[in-house]
Amino acid sequence: MARITKEERKTNIISAALKLFSEKGFYITTIPDIAEKVGMSVGNFYNYFTSKDILAKELVMYISEYLGESIRKINDQDITTEKKTYEIVSMYFNMADERPEMIEYFLRVYLSNREVFGDGCEGMICVSPFVTEMMMFFNDGVESGDLHDQDFFSAFGLFMGYLGGMVFLFGEKILPEPLEWYKESISQNIYNALKTR
Amino acid sequence: MITKQLIDQIEGEASIFFDMKDDVVDFATIAFPHFRGMESILKGKSALDALVITPRVCGICGHAHLMATVRALENAYKNAGYPIELSKKVEIIREFTLVMEMIQNHFKWIYLTIIPEVSKLTDSTRESTPLKGAYAASIASKAIAIFGGQWPHSSYMIPGGITTDPTNIDLLKVESYVDELISFFEKESIGISLEQFLSFESCKDFNTLSSDISYLESSLVTMKMNEKGFAYDRFLVIGEHTFSKPSKLKQTRPFGIDAKYVNTIDSYSPDQVSYAKNAQYKDEFYETGPLARAIATNLPIVKNMHRRFKDSAYSRVMARVFELATLLKHAKGLLSEIDISQKSCLKSVDISKITATGTGVVEAPRGPLLHTVNIKNGLIQEYKIVTPTQFNIGSSSKSNPTPAQKAMIGMTQAEALFIFRTFDVCSVCTTH
Amino acid sequence: MPSKQDKKPSIIWFQGVTCNGNTHSFLNLENLDKLLNKFEILSHPSLPSTKDFDTITNCTLVCDIFIFEGTYDPLMKRNDVLISKVVEHYAKNAKYVIALGSCASFGGMFKASAPHRNSGLLFNEQEKSGPLLNVQTKIINISGCPIHPEWLAYTLSMIEKEREVEIDDLHRPIELYSTLAHHGCTRNEYFEWKVDADGFGEKEGCLYYKQGCRAPMTHASCNKILWNGVSSKTRVGTPCFGCTEPDFPRQNLFSTKTNMSIPEDVPLGVPKRSYLTMAGIAKTFHINRLEGKLIDYKTTD
Repeated sequence: MARITKEERKTNIISAALKLFSEKGFYITTIPDIAEKVGMSVGNFYNYFTSKDILAKELVMYISEYLGESIRKINDQDITTEKKTYEIVSMYFNMADERPEMIEYFLRVYLSNREVFGDGCEGMICVSPFVTEMMMFFNDGVESGDLHDQDFFSAFGLFMGYLGGMVFLFGEKILPEPLEWYKESISQNIYNALKTR
Repeated sequence: MITKQLIDQIEGEASIFFDMKDDVVDFATIAFPHFRGMESILKGKSALDALVITPRVCGICGHAHLMATVRALENAYKNAGYPIELSKKVEIIREFTLVMEMIQNHFKWIYLTIIPEVSKLTDSTRESTPLKGAYAASIASKAIAIFGGQWPHSSYMIPGGITTDPTNIDLLKVESYVDELISFFEKESIGISLEQFLSFESCKDFNTLSSDISYLESSLVTMKMNEKGFAYDRFLVIGEHTFSKPSKLKQTRPFGIDAKYVNTIDSYSPDQVSYAKNAQYKDEFYETGPLARAIATNLPIVKNMHRRFKDSAYSRVMARVFELATLLKHAKGLLSEIDISQKSCLKSVDISKITATGTGVVEAPRGPLLHTVNIKNGLIQEYKIVTPTQFNIGSSSKSNPTPAQKAMIGMTQAEALFIFRTFDVCSVCTTH
Repeated sequence: MPSKQDKKPSIIWFQGVTCNGNTHSFLNLENLDKLLNKFEILSHPSLPSTKDFDTITNCTLVCDIFIFEGTYDPLMKRNDVLISKVVEHYAKNAKYVIALGSCASFGGMFKASAPHRNSGLLFNEQEKSGPLLNVQTKIINISGCPIHPEWLAYTLSMIEKEREVEIDDLHRPIELYSTLAHHGCTRNEYFEWKVDADGFGEKEGCLYYKQGCRAPMTHASCNKILWNGVSSKTRVGTPCFGCTEPDFPRQNLFSTKTNMSIPEDVPLGVPKRSYLTMAGIAKTFHINRLEGKLIDYKTTD
């Protein structure tokens, strides 16, 4: 039987934690709950994450890196800004579909429980990889003349607020159609709002 | 017969075409051959870019251009309905750095231009010390740099104030440089204390001295320059400053003045294309610069000179020397008035909101410098510059000569060339 | 046996389309007399010269070091002689040709006087296509608007001591132009923590994000050796305008070009993604000490 590496164990903890936080909620889920789901002792668990708060922050960074890498792959492609917009929306919605616990953690835990993340996650430090890639998307879009120049946060808020809102509605089971169905219209709306006039 | 004389080492060059009769100048025209099109370069640029571009009109008086630009921009703000209020601190510091630029200019002119010319013409064996001028200028430049960041080519003045927010450390340092300059001037140039020098009321007081300046003064007398080089004996001071009084002067009688009556006309230079335009006030020629400013402020020693020697080359040269002395004292006084707690720059609307015309006038080392800018949505539509050398050293017809032309008539060629230089020529400014 | 009085290197300082800024900057050099004593000044725009201007433009002399200040205009004449003739003659015979200032190095401010024909001696902005291409190995560009007097003093002293002046791709001495104007700026901490200046006239704040400071992209030693020995633009709150670079003067000099609040030009050699990772995040912090006044004077009523 192949030995599970430390990295793989860590990833298992992360996946388990995300799922539990998603099913039961952040405050109700305990360390023993997570340890049990992974199949390790609580003592051993603390070798990987020394507290629930530390785990909480690491989860944000994990998701952020995942998102960042995905968006980077899109940014690096030699396609139009319009197509990139669609690809980002598509990637985000796919993630919400296939790994809902990740987006849900981000929206329902990170954004909604600021008190947990106050110390050590000041500003946008924990979401850096994701924000950097969105900056590159906007930067390249304006440099190529496809997007009109405006304040970064105006554009970022439009893009991410919109996506987050849709995923939230999806999570609440309010959307009549599957998320997949909305990709085209959402990305068109976003592109039309951001493009050069 | 017309003979051509090239003059160089005048911040560029010029050609004087002499029409001699019986070995004296019957008439002379002046051509400035080099043109850079600064006014065209400014067209279409963002108005704030003028703060970087116009100092490059001139390497020795670029700071005056900076101030003229910022005054023109602030005037445009006012005319667009967004008047800008400057703190007293800002006004004093701007004035101070302008004064220091004048001081470095005059030091250089005395030691690099006029004393060597005088020595040449009097066949003097006196030791030549041109680098005294460079040294003094370098100290004055340090004083400017503490506020302005560097000299030449600072752009520290912007609409609303200045970029610098000095501390007492800066003020004390600047004061030490001014003190150094005063010491230098006393020891190397005049040979007595500044206070005593400024208390001179008669030219006879020079007989008590033995120094570079007394050498200059007595040489001018030897050359009979107190009987030569007369222009129209009427003067113009337009810039508003703590050291000058705007007025039009006919001999010493002052009249009101308004910058809007300054006009320019093409120069008359039949023997060579000249890119300089003549500047006039209400279609008449006037002399500008230190002599004009001294008469406008009633400086006793210069009034005395003028009473005896009118607007001779002697008066012109010595007025510049006395302006140097007066400004050294004035500079020190300005520093003591600075209140560092005041704001360095007051916020105003973005330049892109400005559509208006503005004029800025500054007394530069050689006289009034006028900048007029027409801005539309923050972009320059038109920019006009009139420099003091255009007032003094234009080239016009025989029946209506400019001050420099008039001053050369009846002189030998050597005398005429000397008298030409007494106006402190700046070629690059003239044509810009 | 030859005495220590070896022949001094001779200098001709000649001008094209210029404002004389470099001439006046050079006159500010400390101990100028000591430097000048090491050379024979055949011709200079304001210092005593051993030859008159007619002799210079007659092109019968040669010199060791030919200094050219100003933009090169092939149609320009001085003393009724085409400067192209003068430049070609002295450049051919000199050991060194110094293009003094950004105008002579790249075209600079006065390329715009006649953009289709004006250029530097060797470079036309970024392009190596100037009139002295055939003698490029002799050419040293001392760019700047104006030059710092010590930059010329360094070059002349190195020549006089027969030491090699190593140059970069733009023919600028590497010892002078390897540092950035950014190095030594007193506002560096504000740059590190992305605390922008709010308008002008304050001691606090970095001028890079909004006020157009080009220092992180400009090769110059302004904040190392200081201007006039005492100061620099950025130290008095004026943004660097990048005057030593081939693209000087740029436009909209007092503001930073941004794309969605992201600076179009990031510090030299730093990939944009790397820069954004550091900067984008630092910008969201709030550090009280850096956001407050540097000096809190007690107000006396």
